[in-house]
Amino acid sequence: MKQIFPLTFMTHNDIPHWISHLQKIENVIAPHKNGINSFSFGKVSDPKCVILNYDRTLSSIKKYFLPPKETLFSFSTDGKETTSSKVEPINAIFLGVHNYDLEAVFRLDHNFLSGHAESQYLTRRQGALFIGVSYTPDEWHFSNSVLKDGEPNHSGGFDLFLHEIEDGYLLETLTESGQNLMKGFPLPEFDGDIPKQQSFNAHIDGGFEKVTDVFSRAWDSPVWESYAEKCVGCGTCNLVCPTCFCFNVEDEVDLDLKTGNRIRTQDGCMLRSFSEVAGGEIFRNQKAARMRHRLYRKFKYISQETGESWCVGCGRCSAYCTAGISIVDIVNDLIHDSNREIGA
Amino acid sequence: MMQIFKSIPENMEANLYLPSMGTITQTHNLTKKEKWFEIQMPETHSFSYNPGQFVEVSLFGVGEAPISITSAMKNPGLFEMTIRDVGVLTEKIHALNSGDLIGIRGPFGNGFDLKKFKGKDVLIVAGGIGLVPIRSLIHTILNDRKSYGRLIILYGTKSSQDLLYKSELDQWETHPGIEFQMTVDQPSPDWHGIVGVITTLIPSVTLDLENTVAAIVGPPVMYKFVLLSLLTKGLSDENIYLSLERRMKCGVGKCGHCQINHSLVCQDGPVYHYPELKKLQEALK
Amino acid sequence: MKPKVAVFDFTGCEGCELNKLNFEDELLALLEHIDIVEWREAMDDKSDHYTIAIVEGSISTPDCVERIHDIRNRSEILIALGACAVQGGMNAMKNQYPLEQVREEVYGCHKDLFPTLPALPLSRYVRVDYEVRGCPMTKNEFLKILTSILMGKKPIKPTHAVCVECKLNENECVYDKGMVCLGPITRGGCDSLCTNFGQYCTGCRGLVDEPDVEAMLAILNRHGLSIVEAKKRLELFNYENQAL
Ligand code: SF4
Ligand code: SF4
Ligand code: FES
Repeated sequence: MKQIFPLTFMTHNDIPHWISHLQKIENVIAPHKNGINSFSFGKVSDPKCVILNYDRTLSSIKKYFLPPKETLFSFSTDGKETTSSKVEPINAIFLGVHNYDLEAVFRLDHNFLSGHAESQYLTRRQGALFIGVSYTPDEWHFSNSVLKDGEPNHSGGFDLFLHEIEDGYLLETLTESGQNLMKGFPLPEFDGDIPKQQSFNAHIDGGFEKVTDVFSRAWDSPVWESYAEKCVGCGTCNLVCPTCFCFNVEDEVDLDLKTGNRIRTQDGCMLRSFSEVAGGEIFRNQKAARMRHRLYRKFKYISQETGESWCVGCGRCSAYCTAGISIVDIVNDLIHDSNREIGA
Repeated sequence: MMQIFKSIPENMEANLYLPSMGTITQTHNLTKKEKWFEIQMPETHSFSYNPGQFVEVSLFGVGEAPISITSAMKNPGLFEMTIRDVGVLTEKIHALNSGDLIGIRGPFGNGFDLKKFKGKDVLIVAGGIGLVPIRSLIHTILNDRKSYGRLIILYGTKSSQDLLYKSELDQWETHPGIEFQMTVDQPSPDWHGIVGVITTLIPSVTLDLENTVAAIVGPPVMYKFVLLSLLTKGLSDENIYLSLERRMKCGVGKCGHCQINHSLVCQDGPVYHYPELKKLQEALK
Repeated sequence: MKPKVAVFDFTGCEGCELNKLNFEDELLALLEHIDIVEWREAMDDKSDHYTIAIVEGSISTPDCVERIHDIRNRSEILIALGACAVQGGMNAMKNQYPLEQVREEVYGCHKDLFPTLPALPLSRYVRVDYEVRGCPMTKNEFLKILTSILMGKKPIKPTHAVCVECKLNENECVYDKGMVCLGPITRGGCDSLCTNFGQYCTGCRGLVDEPDVEAMLAILNRHGLSIVEAKKRLELFNYENQAL
């Protein structure tokens, strides 16, 4: 795409000043340290605490548009009164977002805004601006195996994008909203090119094309069982996935027994109770069947309609799997297994 | 990735998950376990539906459950449902009577595509509580009888105590426009009709194979056998529709609970064309 | 008429006792809807029949056995409160040693005055309707179960692992901090209380339904515990769980 706005340059020292500048415009949400080796998006209070060179955050920014737990409405138990909960828009600048996490937001948009569009999601989502940052892929990232533009420096869809270079960052301005954010914060123009792509360490052999092909005949593969054996069924992989959105709905009654709330909480298809049908039967009682369902949702079911992978290659489910299962390994094994079968 | 966000849907509901309050206008105990309700939705609520659709029924503080509509669309906002008492929510709904309020969302799901049935002979196979949703189709056909060919209804239950809509069954038996047969699995001494599982009724029915469309609703175990006997009879896949029972939660394609393979039962179903259903490995397992 | 609720305790550390956990405000709200009829320490007002019996502690003496049967016979709904009542708790760890040895160690020369049985969960002797798990018991779960019962509905029993709540709370995984944790196989419902405070999960709420113990042992093993040590970890609150 042709560059419409000039590239500018920012030193590491400029960053906190720039964040303060952004904070004058809008709340800024950015990655922070969370614990010893982990990162988390949070509202910025001290710009110096923002960390831009991180590997991945435990939860993606989906938590802002689809809170882990939320009240859908309140009621009186006699049914005479029901009140929709007021949903506040998240008017914020999301700073330091990796390419795959924005891609994941676009996928959530698809789920929540097509068909019966959901006002809760839309209200939260519509005031968001995104400033991306490039990253160095670690052992788990594999975005370019599944996304058309999955490179760590791919800036499509962002308003502004930071490319890490020696001594600082190149700032790429992509939209008018992005340009507006820079008003009052002049930066020197940068005369040069956007740095080359970083290469990935993890790969799906044959990329997404191969995945689509293999998932059309992977249903009965023994690979599912071989990984399910190690899986303890904790559901972590669902909860950390930026494109998982399933939820459960439950009524909570206040102690006066007269009022209460209908609550939704995030759910996950790896959890045994997720597929419980009327009468108590567990529809996908085998872990292998649940694991298969999860991966089919990432690589086939929605993908065959939209042509896009519903896995964005963030590597969270592998990095955080308590049993040490890597999604790339599962997919590659499926590929090898099917190659063996067709004698290729 | 396409940015669908740019096109914000116009007719978005304020809160997809907030029920409207319907008023119960009539009730009737059908069996020990099944109770029939007629519900009037508020005038302002434009409530119209197709046969085969379902609603989400709420009692606040207890929960919500998907319930099939059992009536044919007549007056806007008026519908009927029959509820089997299987748990706490349904037990509490059973305790409600005329004049009581009940939370309703929907109607949801696709329902039967009447275009596929019009001008054709219609074969209905209902097992047990499967008669509840399919009664909406039967009534729709009866209300517009001349638009359809023969109407053949085969109905089977476990015992004669489980038969639903008994006075209606009597009418169907003598109705000139209906070829009706029923069977029970475990007859009581006062039962004089046919005995056996539902498939015992199928061989003796003569069908114009080219011109018959079948609709099957019943417990999952029944499908395999009914399908087998219909296919043996020579009916083609193309002419078969089934309705699936799955645990729907949100009803609006968001929560993921009703999904079988790529299909969301609350959106693409509960009624499926058999050739489509065959592609879903998880559907008839 | 308000439902009559009675509270009893058996062998346990008494850390679960309702009057010792500070949630007076919530209890006060609930008292609007119930009558407390028997509370060993708080009240003397005895009743023959209880709508709800809340029972703490495990069963570990012949006397306990008699009492728990009596309580069951007199109550409509029986709730087991806390890890001792639900799983036998840590008390059940003694079950791995011969009973005589335990008595000797605990009561010395007075051992004959204190007949003892293996410490078992209530459910080994009587039907238990609902469980409030945890050591000490999880307050929110207790309130949820009680309000559900008062609403006339079945309380929803958490079936997911602690990991689910821990992730929703966005805690750094304990394993990533170099500790081992029983969260992946322990029944949630505590809102991952311990890991929220940087601690590992000791498994006090017992195991999830159909736990995959083999997979869990492999995880602990991969993180440096021998299989024997790993089993010991799991046994702490689950000694009486058949899945182990
Ligand atoms: S499936 Fe795994 S790698 Fe793919 S988007 Fe989800 S968490 Fe990331
Ligand atoms: S995170 Fe790993 S162990 Fe947990 S459910 Fe997912 S695959 Fe299984
Ligand atoms: S019921 Fe929620 S997606 Fe179908």
